[in-house]
Amino acid sequence: MTFEWIQIPYSLMTLLIVIIYAFFMTALIAKIGARAGRRYGIRIHQNFLDLFKNYSLRSSITHGYMFYLAPVFRLTGGIGLLLFVPTIYGSQMFSNLSFAGDLILALYFIFFGTLGMALGAAESGHPYAAIGISRGLSQVTMAELPFALSVFAIAVQYQTLSVTDIVAAQQGGFMNWTVFTNPLAVTAAMMSFLGTMMRSPFDLHLAPQEIPIGPPTEYHSSYLALMQTNRNLFPVAKVVIYMNLFFGGATNWPVFFLKVFLIYLFSAFVGVVFPRFRVEQSIRWFMVWAVPVGIAAILLV
Amino acid sequence: MAHIAMFTGFALILMGLYGALTNRNIMRMIVFFTIVNTGINLVLVAVGYLPGRTAPILDDVVPASEAAAKIIDPVPQALVLTAIVIGLGITALMLAYAYKLFELKRTLDISKFRELKW
Amino acid sequence: MVMPSAFLIIAVGLGGAFLLGFLRNEWRATAFAVTVLSLASIILISSMWVWGFAYGEAKPVDFLTAGIAAPFAINLRVGLPEATLVLLVGLTGLFSAIYLKASFERMGKRAMAVLLIDIMALCGIILTRDIFNMFVFFELVVISTGGLILLSEDQRALAAGFKYLIVSQFISLMFLLGTIFIYHSYGTLNIDGMTQTTAALAKGASLGFFLLFIALVTELKPFPANGWALDIYEAAHPAFSAIFSAAVGTAALFAVNKTLQIGGDAWLPVATGIGIVTFVVSNILALQQTNDRRLLGYSSIAQVGLVLVVIGQRDILGDKFMFVAGGILLAHTVAKAGLYWLSGMVSGRELQAWTVLRKNPIMLFAFITFIAMLSGLPPFPGFYAKWELAHALFASGRYGLIAFILFGALVEAGYLFRWFGFIIKREMSEERVVFLVRKVMVVFVTALGGWWLSYIWGGLSSYKNILYNIPFAFALAFMLLEWLPAKVKNTIAIIAMCAYFYISYPSYDPLQLIFGMIILLGGAIVLLASYNWTGRRQGFYTSAMLMYAGLSMLIVSENSFSFFVAWELLTVGSYFLMLRGKNSEPHALSYIVFSLGGAFAILSGFALAAQGIQPFALTGLGQVAQTYAPWVFILLAIGFMTKTAAIGLHIWLPGAHAEAEADVSPMVSGILLKAGLFGLFVLLMNMGKTQLYGIELTHILLWMGALSAFLGNLMAIFQEDAKRLLAYSSIGQMGYALFGLAMMNHLGWLMALLFVINHYIYKSMLFLSVGGIAKRTGTRNMFKMGGLIALMPLSFIAVLVGIIAMSGVPPLSGFGGRWIFYNAIMTVDYRLPIVLIFLSGPIAFLYLFRLIHTIFLGQLKDEHRKLKEVPFWLILPQMLFVIFLLGFAVLPGLALRRVDGYISKFFADGALNWDSSVITSNYGYWNPVAIMIIISVIFVILLAWLVFLNRKAQKVKQFNIVYAAERPYRPETTHYAWNFFASYRKAMGFLVQPIVTNFWNAITGTLHSGADVVRRIYTGNGQTYAYHFLAFVVVVFMLSMGV
Repeated sequence: MTFEWIQIPYSLMTLLIVIIYAFFMTALIAKIGARAGRRYGIRIHQNFLDLFKNYSLRSSITHGYMFYLAPVFRLTGGIGLLLFVPTIYGSQMFSNLSFAGDLILALYFIFFGTLGMALGAAESGHPYAAIGISRGLSQVTMAELPFALSVFAIAVQYQTLSVTDIVAAQQGGFMNWTVFTNPLAVTAAMMSFLGTMMRSPFDLHLAPQEIPIGPPTEYHSSYLALMQTNRNLFPVAKVVIYMNLFFGGATNWPVFFLKVFLIYLFSAFVGVVFPRFRVEQSIRWFMVWAVPVGIAAILLV
Repeated sequence: MAHIAMFTGFALILMGLYGALTNRNIMRMIVFFTIVNTGINLVLVAVGYLPGRTAPILDDVVPASEAAAKIIDPVPQALVLTAIVIGLGITALMLAYAYKLFELKRTLDISKFRELKW
Repeated sequence: MVMPSAFLIIAVGLGGAFLLGFLRNEWRATAFAVTVLSLASIILISSMWVWGFAYGEAKPVDFLTAGIAAPFAINLRVGLPEATLVLLVGLTGLFSAIYLKASFERMGKRAMAVLLIDIMALCGIILTRDIFNMFVFFELVVISTGGLILLSEDQRALAAGFKYLIVSQFISLMFLLGTIFIYHSYGTLNIDGMTQTTAALAKGASLGFFLLFIALVTELKPFPANGWALDIYEAAHPAFSAIFSAAVGTAALFAVNKTLQIGGDAWLPVATGIGIVTFVVSNILALQQTNDRRLLGYSSIAQVGLVLVVIGQRDILGDKFMFVAGGILLAHTVAKAGLYWLSGMVSGRELQAWTVLRKNPIMLFAFITFIAMLSGLPPFPGFYAKWELAHALFASGRYGLIAFILFGALVEAGYLFRWFGFIIKREMSEERVVFLVRKVMVVFVTALGGWWLSYIWGGLSSYKNILYNIPFAFALAFMLLEWLPAKVKNTIAIIAMCAYFYISYPSYDPLQLIFGMIILLGGAIVLLASYNWTGRRQGFYTSAMLMYAGLSMLIVSENSFSFFVAWELLTVGSYFLMLRGKNSEPHALSYIVFSLGGAFAILSGFALAAQGIQPFALTGLGQVAQTYAPWVFILLAIGFMTKTAAIGLHIWLPGAHAEAEADVSPMVSGILLKAGLFGLFVLLMNMGKTQLYGIELTHILLWMGALSAFLGNLMAIFQEDAKRLLAYSSIGQMGYALFGLAMMNHLGWLMALLFVINHYIYKSMLFLSVGGIAKRTGTRNMFKMGGLIALMPLSFIAVLVGIIAMSGVPPLSGFGGRWIFYNAIMTVDYRLPIVLIFLSGPIAFLYLFRLIHTIFLGQLKDEHRKLKEVPFWLILPQMLFVIFLLGFAVLPGLALRRVDGYISKFFADGALNWDSSVITSNYGYWNPVAIMIIISVIFVILLAWLVFLNRKAQKVKQFNIVYAAERPYRPETTHYAWNFFASYRKAMGFLVQPIVTNFWNAITGTLHSGADVVRRIYTGNGQTYAYHFLAFVVVVFMLSMGV
C-alpha cells in the first residue's frame, strides 16, 4: 500500500458519503430513542438544519487560541480516524489513507480529538467544562480497557495488526466473523462500546441537567458547527472500526450502512433503557462486568 | 600449700568482686578492688609455685648450672611485682577520682553520677 | 637505609614525658615544643619504617631487650602493619596535641606528659610481642586515659572516667588471670613462642586464652559492655575522644589480632560474633542519638566492631586481610578523629548545631570527606575494603554475615547522611563562630590525608585506581573552581561534556551511544537552563559533574568493579544535587538510603556471581552457575529497580524529584533514572531468562513493571503539586520501560530504548516548564495557578507538545512507543500483566490533562495578572526539546535503526523493517511521515476554515461565560482545579492507600523505637556497666564453650 494522489479525491468522497449518512442515521437513532420514550422526535434532516443554523449565526466570540483549536482538533480527530481505516473491504477506492498506519494508529488517534476538545473547552474557563472533562476522562480509563484487551486478543488471534488483513480473515460467510470465532473478545468490546458512545448510562460527562452539556458549554455558531459535524461523524468512524474488527467489515456501501446502523443502534437501545451512572458506578460496572471478560479473552486466545 | 594459696586467691577475687558490685559507695568499691588485686597476686604466685624448690636467686646454694631444676620459675614473681606496682597506680588514680567526685556532688554514691546515659 | 630502633619510639615518649617533668611550670611554650617534638620524633621514626617497607628493602625486624632472644626477654616487632599503626597513633597524638594547645597551656606540663605517656603506651601495645608487656602498656593507657579525660571542661567527664576505671579493673583481672594461665600452659609469655608450641592446648590454656581474649576484646568496647566508653565519648574533650576512638581502638584491635594467633582460627568465629553484634546494634542505637559526640561514639564502637569482624574472617581473606582490615580501620580512624576534632569547633551539642560548618567551606569539605569515608563510598579505602570483603564472604558462603554487615552499614550511612542533611538544610544559628586556624588546619590536613589514603588504596587494589578515571577526576577538579561565577562554570561544564562525548563516541556501541547521548549531550542541554542562575551556586557543579561522571563511567564499564564504582559515584553526586532543594532534606535522605540499599544489593549480586574470581567481567553474568544465577538475578534486579523507582522501592522519588531545584529535577528525572534502566539492560542482556524454583523471574519483572506503570500513574493523578505529579509519572514511565525489557523480545527492548529517549526529552522538558512556572508563580500547587496560557505561551507550547508526546497520541513520538509496544506484546508468552499496562495508558491521560488544564487553562488568578514568560534560559532548552520531539516523531529511524540492528544480536526475530518511510513489523506497519502530513493537512485546512469564519470574533473577558445566568467574579471559585479527579478517587482511591510508605515507615519506626528501648540499658550507673561486662563475659564464654 503506497500513496497515490488519486487517493485524496477518493478519501474526500468517502468522507462526504459518511458525513451525509451519519447525519441521517444519527437523526434516525434519535428519533427511535424518542419513540421509545413516547415522543415524536426530531425530523430526519434536523441535523442539516442545525448545521446550517450554526453556520449562519453571526454572534462570534472567542476565549483565546485554544478555544479555536478545540473544534479543529476534534474534527481532525474524527476525519483522521475515518480515513486511517479502510471503509469498504476490497475496494482500492475506499481504502482511504490506511497506508499510513495500522489498527494501533486508529486506536490512539481516537484520543487526538478528546485531547483537543478537553484543551479547548478548558480554555473557556467554564467550570462545567472542566467538570465534564474530569468525569469523561475518568470514565474512559476503565471503559477503554475491555476494548483494548479485546483488540489485543483478536490481533493475536489473526496474528496481524492490519485492519485490512483482519477483515480479510473474516471473509467467506458470517460464521467467520470475529463475533462468532471469538465471542469473548467481542462481548468485552461491545461493553466497552457502550461506554464510549456518550449515551446513557455512560453520559455523565455531558449530563445536560447538571452541567449543561459539559465540555462544549461555551461553544456556539461555527465552532459548534464543526463540533456538531464531528459529533455525527466520529461515532460512525468508531463504529467502522468495530465493524471491521468484529463483524466482518463491509464489501459494499449498503452492507456498510446496515452494519453501522445496527451496531450504533445497540448503544441507543441500551441507552433508552438504563438511567445514568455516576462515575464511580460506571467504573465499577466496567471493572466488574467487562474487564474480566476482556481478561478471559486475552488468556484464552 | 599452692592449692591453699590458689584457693585463697580465688576466694579473695570473688569476695572482692561481690563487694565491688554490691556496694554503692565509691570508697568501698575501691577497697574491694584492692582485695581483688591481692587475690590476683596470690593466684599468680600460686600458679608459678613449684613444691620443693627454692627461691630463684643464683648463689652458692643454687649454681647457675643446676638452676633450672632447683628454683621456682621467677617469671610469675616478676609479674606479681609489676602487677602490684600497677595496681597501686590505678588505686591511687581511683582515689583521686573519688576525691574529685566527692568535691563535685558531696556524695560518694556511685548511683548518683548518672548524668551520662543512653 | 639504616632503620632506627623500635625502642626509640618508646624511649622518645618516655623521655619526653620525663623531660617535661624537669621543666619549670611557667615554661608552657617550651613544654609544648617538647611534646610536639617528641610526637614528631615518633612519627618520623615510624614513617621511616613505613617508607622502608613501601619503597625500600626493609624487612620485619624483632628488637630484643637486653640482647637476649625471646622468650627470655621482651621483644618488639616492627613490620609494615606495626609501623603504619604506630604512625597513625603518632599522627593522632600530634594533631590532638596541636589541637589542644590552648588547653595544654592552661593546664601545664603535666597534661602534656600524660598525653605523651598515652601515645607511647599505645605504640607499645602495637609493637610488643609479649603479653605481659602488653598488659603493662594497657595499664599505662588506663592511667593516662584517666588523666586525659579530665582535660574536658565538662564536669560529667569525671564520672565517665571513674566508670572507665571500674571496668578497667575487671579487664585487668581477666588479663592477669589469662596471662598466668597461658604462661602456665606454654611456659612462655611470647606470642610467637606460643604459636610455635605445637602441643595441643590444655584445658587451662584454653581458659587462659579466653580470659586474655575477653580482656582485650572489652578494650574494643563490645556491645553491651561498652556503656563506659560511650560516656567517655560524650563527655571527654573531643581531642581526647579522637585519640580514644582512633588510636586506642586501633591499638586494641591490633592487640586482639596479635593474640588471636595464640588461640588459633578456632576463635575467629567468636571474634566475628562479637564484632557483628556490636556493629549492628551500635549502629541501630546511634539512630536515636541527638548528641553529636555520643553519636560518634556509637559509630566508633560500631566501626571497631566491623574491623573485629574482618579479623574474624582472616581465614578466608588470606593475603587480602591487611588490605581489607586496613582499609576499614584507616578510613575509620581518619574519619572519626577528624569528626571529633570538628566537634570541638562546634559549640552546641545537638546535631543541628553543626550547621555552623556551612560558614566555612573547608570544614564542610572535611565533613563530607569524613562521612563518605565512614560510609565506604568510592574512592575511599573503606570502599575497596567493602568490595573485597563482600567478595570473600560470598565466595565462602557466609551469606548471613555479609547481610548483617551490609544492613549495619546501611543504618550507619542513614544516620550519617541524615546528619549531613541537618547541616546543609537546617537553619543556622546566628551565633558568631570563630574557626581557629590551628584547628581548621588539623581538620583539613586530616581530610586531605583521607584523600591521600584513597590514592594509596587505589594503587594497592588490583583494579584501576578510581582516582585515575578522567570523568571522576574532572568532577573533583571542579571543587577547585568553586570560586568562579556560576555562568563561567556552566560554560566549562557544557563544553567539557560535549568534548567528552566527542572523544568517546567512536568507541560506543549503539546501546552505549543512546545512553551516552542522553547523559552527555542531553545533560549539556539541560545545563543550558542553569545559565539562569547567578552568583556562585557553590557545590552545584561539583555535584552535577560527579553525577555525570558516574553516569558516563557506568555505560562504558566492562567489569563489575568499575560498574559498581560508577554506580556509587552517580548516586552520591545526585544525592548532593537533590539535597540542594529548599525542602528536600527528608527526601534526599530517603533517596540516599534507598540508593545505598540498592547499591548493597548490587554489590551482593556481583559478589555472589563472581565467587571470588576478580575481575569479574559483566559478560560473565551469563556463565553464573545455576545454583546462584537466580539469586544473582534477584539481587541485581532489586538494586537496579531502586534507581528506576519500581513500585515498592519508589517512595523516595516523588519528594526527591519534586523538591529539587528547577534545573536539577530534569537532570535527576530525565537522565539519572536511566542508570537503573541501563543496569537492567546489562542484567537481562547477560543473564536472560532465569528461573527460581520454576518461577520465571522475568515474569516477576513484568509484574513489577506493570504495577509501577499502573500505580505510578494512578498516584500521579491525585497530586496537587505539579512537580510531584511529574515525579509520580516518572515512576509510571519507568514501569513501562521495565515492562518492555522484561518482555524479553526484540521489540520489547526497542520499546524500552524508545522510552529511554522519549522519557528523557519530555520529562526534562516538562520539569523545566513546570519548574520555571513555579519560579514565576511562587507555588507548585496547580490549583493556585490557572489561565497562564496568555502570559506564558512558550511554556504552554512546551507542555502541550510534551503531553501529546507522552500520552502516545499520534502524530508525535510517543505514538511510536505505543506502536512498538503493541507489536512487542504480540509475541509475549505471559499476558496477564498487560492488563495493567493497558489500564495505565488512559490513566496517564488524566494527569496530563490535569497538568495542562489547571496551570494554563481555566481562570487566571488576580495575583498572576502581571507575570511574565519564564526566563529565557529555561525556555531555550524546552524549545530545543520541542524541535527534537517533532523531528523524532517524523524520523524515529535516525536513532532507532542502528539500535534495532544491535538488539538483533540478542533477539534475532522480530526486527523492524526500516527500508522505506514505512516501518513494518511482522504484524503491522507505521508511516510516521505520512501520519504527520495527513494530520497536519487536515488540521491546517480546518483551522483556516474556522479562523476564516470567525475572523471577526470578539475576544471576551475572563468572566464572560454562561454561568447559570450569573457572572462569577472570583477566579478562585470558578477555576475547577483542586481535587480535580474527585470522582475518580471515589472509584479507585482504595488503590492508592500509602501501603508502601507505611511499610517502610514501620521498618524505620521499629528500628528507632527499638533503639530507644535498648539504649536504656546504659543507665549511667558505673556498677550497672560492670554487670554488663560480667554478663558479656558469661555469654561469650557459654557461646564459645565449643571452641
